[in-house]
Amino acid sequence: MSDVAVAQVVETHDAHDDHGGHRTSLGLSNMKLAMWLFLGSECLLFGALISTFLLSKANFITEVVAGNPNVTSTMPAELIEEFQAAGSVEPFWDIPFTSASSFILLMSSLTMVLAHKAVTEDDDLQTKVWLAATALLGSTFIAGQVYEFTAFFREGLTYDGNLFGSSFYTLTGFHGAHVTGGILMLMSLLFVAFRGKLKSDRAETVELVGLYWHFVDIVWVLIFTIVYLIP
Amino acid sequence: MADSTVTTEVAHDVHDEDHAHHPTERQYWVVFVALAALTAIEVAWSYLGLDNRAALVLPLLAMMAVKFLLVAGAFMHLYFDLKIINGRLFSWAFGFSLLLAVVVYFVVFAAFDKLPF
Amino acid sequence: MADLEPRLALPSGSSNGRVARPLGAFSRPRNPTGLVNWLTTVDHKKIGIMYGSAALFFLLIGGVAAILIRLQLAVPNNELLSADFYNQVYTMHGTVMVFLVVMPIGAAFSNYLMPLQVGARDVAFPRINAFSFWVFFFGGLMLNTSWFLGGGADGGWFNYAPNNGIAFSPSHGIDFWNIGLLIAGLGSLTGSINLITTVLNMRAPGMSMMKTPIFTWMTLVTQFLLLLAIPVLTVAQILLASDRLFGANFFNVSQGADPLLWQHLFWVFGHPEVYLMILPAFGIVSEIIPTFARKPIFGYPFMVFSGVAIGFMGFGVWAHHMFVSGIGPLSVVGFTFATMFIAVPTGVKILNWLATIWGGKLILNTAMLFAIALVTQFTVGGLSGVSHALAAHDTQQTDTYYIVAHFHYVLFGGAFFGFVGGMYFWWPKAFGYKLSETIGKTQFWTMVVGFNLTFGPMHILGLQGMPRRMHTYDVVQGFNTWNLVATFGSFILGVGTLTVLVNALVSYRKWVRAGRPDVGPDPWDARALEWSIQSPTPEHNFDYDPVVTQLDDWWYRKYQKDENGVLRQVHTGAEIAQPGNGEGVHLPAPSYWPIVVAFGIPVVGYGLIFSLWLVIPGALITLAGLYGWALEPADDLDVDEHQGDDDHGDGDGDDTAAEADKELEKV
Repeated sequence: MSDVAVAQVVETHDAHDDHGGHRTSLGLSNMKLAMWLFLGSECLLFGALISTFLLSKANFITEVVAGNPNVTSTMPAELIEEFQAAGSVEPFWDIPFTSASSFILLMSSLTMVLAHKAVTEDDDLQTKVWLAATALLGSTFIAGQVYEFTAFFREGLTYDGNLFGSSFYTLTGFHGAHVTGGILMLMSLLFVAFRGKLKSDRAETVELVGLYWHFVDIVWVLIFTIVYLIP
Repeated sequence: MADSTVTTEVAHDVHDEDHAHHPTERQYWVVFVALAALTAIEVAWSYLGLDNRAALVLPLLAMMAVKFLLVAGAFMHLYFDLKIINGRLFSWAFGFSLLLAVVVYFVVFAAFDKLPF
Repeated sequence: MADLEPRLALPSGSSNGRVARPLGAFSRPRNPTGLVNWLTTVDHKKIGIMYGSAALFFLLIGGVAAILIRLQLAVPNNELLSADFYNQVYTMHGTVMVFLVVMPIGAAFSNYLMPLQVGARDVAFPRINAFSFWVFFFGGLMLNTSWFLGGGADGGWFNYAPNNGIAFSPSHGIDFWNIGLLIAGLGSLTGSINLITTVLNMRAPGMSMMKTPIFTWMTLVTQFLLLLAIPVLTVAQILLASDRLFGANFFNVSQGADPLLWQHLFWVFGHPEVYLMILPAFGIVSEIIPTFARKPIFGYPFMVFSGVAIGFMGFGVWAHHMFVSGIGPLSVVGFTFATMFIAVPTGVKILNWLATIWGGKLILNTAMLFAIALVTQFTVGGLSGVSHALAAHDTQQTDTYYIVAHFHYVLFGGAFFGFVGGMYFWWPKAFGYKLSETIGKTQFWTMVVGFNLTFGPMHILGLQGMPRRMHTYDVVQGFNTWNLVATFGSFILGVGTLTVLVNALVSYRKWVRAGRPDVGPDPWDARALEWSIQSPTPEHNFDYDPVVTQLDDWWYRKYQKDENGVLRQVHTGAEIAQPGNGEGVHLPAPSYWPIVVAFGIPVVGYGLIFSLWLVIPGALITLAGLYGWALEPADDLDVDEHQGDDDHGDGDGDDTAAEADKELEKV
């Protein structure tokens, strides 16, 4: 009886198969499942931040249009007049600049998948090139954000001045922090690659970082349209 | 008991990425070009100065959604995951969270007597 | 031939066959004992016990706060507590009980039990599991240091805006509430990812989802609720922290902000929160009742689907906490309907439990008594809940003691009673001896009497108009008698609640004096897989993976149908349980890094509140900890972790049973 049980066990269990992969109930990787669950929770996080921004921006404009002195005193008069005329914050943006930033981030998603592809093919050089490219493009994006923030700040949009500033900087700031975290992960991967240890058996790690990176890109796709393009 | 034919659900192997399911490098570039083009169209659309809010906003949201699906489906491999056993779970987990977020926050807006756009 | 295959612990990485010493990272702790053992453990069972112990510690704090409330309210015009201190006491009472008692006890059971019920060696990510516990514990400790650092939070456990802002709550209490809970929330979030992955991906062979125990299903739903609700609270807390610490304007009414944003965000989290507090207890009684009614659970698929439905619908009813906030008639009506509907799946569960009890050969031991008490008392709380669902009623009831009665009936009379039942039920499995039935039954009746004396009258007080969160009331208001009764009851309840600690001690000493007799693997003759292994649970859980062919598989290995189709016992549990031989089993190694990473985070928290300079060392500790974590070896290269040869991967067909460990990701 117990022999049969063990025999059953032997036939169904072999902790490692040929690939070095492991048996799971669904045949899916634990890490990948975990990453998708995490990204699901991030949808709720960024959804709340985006919603807060939209509500705050709407309230801000309402007060500006109504001439609430608490609000109109927080930004230079010319800007306030432009907001009042447009009935929105559209005049404030520098769309060409932000478009370029968006383009750069999209390109970094491309380089990310190319990096992953290179790892699966054990192409050391390409892996390093594409990983570095992704990190570089991501850093360029962050640099763009920093530039944009300082420009806005100089034009009069402060963090603590009014609802528009608070919600804008919080939303994009959190996104930027996520990008920065991604860049740190990419640089760690690059470091491992330069030690010659990033091979196809670790492809899944690159894939996971990639999933995170693409998600951060997707959030920017949403932010760009909802925050910048839609008045 | 133990000796009867046991049709158990045997655990599955986790396969390393099956290359047949991978997009080619060319496909990735095509997706990227599509994303870039959509972005350009979006920006252009926003510059048109349309007065009708629906005419302005709806196409923008549509393009945004397409970009979202392109990145999720191609770059994040979800489209190709649909073909592997239980791979749909990733799309479901992510899609369900996304749908929940959209619905819940939409209701929050409605409770404020505001629409998000 | 032992081939240790040591490797860098990058997740998913398998070995290249090389022995790689990671650059300068600490090796894993070697055979730690005592305190270091507990600080570095990644064993889900120890982590579960730590969650439970921490929760009992916080229960003392929350309980003292409760007694203070009742003392203050015992008589009218009482000056025992000042109004300001009273605000802190009820705020911290609620916060501690919700976040630091009920949730962690649920986590304790889920962590300890669920891997056993699905036949796994551990959870999917053992180190993340440890991290989840430590970050919860440090967050909870940080929250409670507020008492000594300027006063506890004082805005109510839900801390509405704009009262939660600096203008109206200038002390640091709410900052501690905010940051402390943010930190503890990280534990819940990481834990949810871990447990969901475990349930979905690490079940025993043959165990399809519809063959998993109800407790495991309820754990799964609870973790999904956590996964999706915690981020919403996180955002609310970020907004509040931005306002209070950095001068943002999210809830600044003079700038045009709408304070209702806080309420929405909080309750979008808050309502799923209450469901995730009760669902583990529902799972627990769904295990206890069939065991002691000697019948399978009635309507297993309905129990599963109703649990899923409760979780799902729980996201659609949040604004019933806001009926009088001015959300407008359309919203009010919509949420009334949604709230009424959510009573249905819960009702299904109640009926199924009753149907399980009906016709059963009842064994009314302590665990069963507590389970039945949950069914009864939760029903009372549920009924008052249904009355709140009607917005017209709720307009009268909201912010009165009627609501206080409702949620104590469902949370204390429901969840907590279920937890105590679970303690009596699984204590022998975890610790190797049963808790005394005599003390147990005494405790039970004490708690039942005390509980109902305390909270029953609150229904009346609420309908008489006694408001919540008022530090005193006047003689003429007519609240005197029932308040005094409630206070009297609360002391009985307090004694009853503490009795479980007494029981643990007394029973332990009795057991030791009797020479530590073996309680056996299956002392209750129960149904699920955790009873198929020795008690106390062996460190490696299962010697070999149990192969499951049906729901309650363990039960049907003991009881089988004879030629007349009647179920007869063919084996006792002790005969066929797994012997507990861990030879050759490979366990995940302990690790320093989870506690290190967790430690850095509250340092950042204190920095945010008091001095931004502190953020730097805190962040550095966390970051260094993360790198140490990523770089540490999968196992200690030098210590023989296992008791026998490790036949890893020689593939020649004579794999020992030890090979049958579920995949433990090196994270």
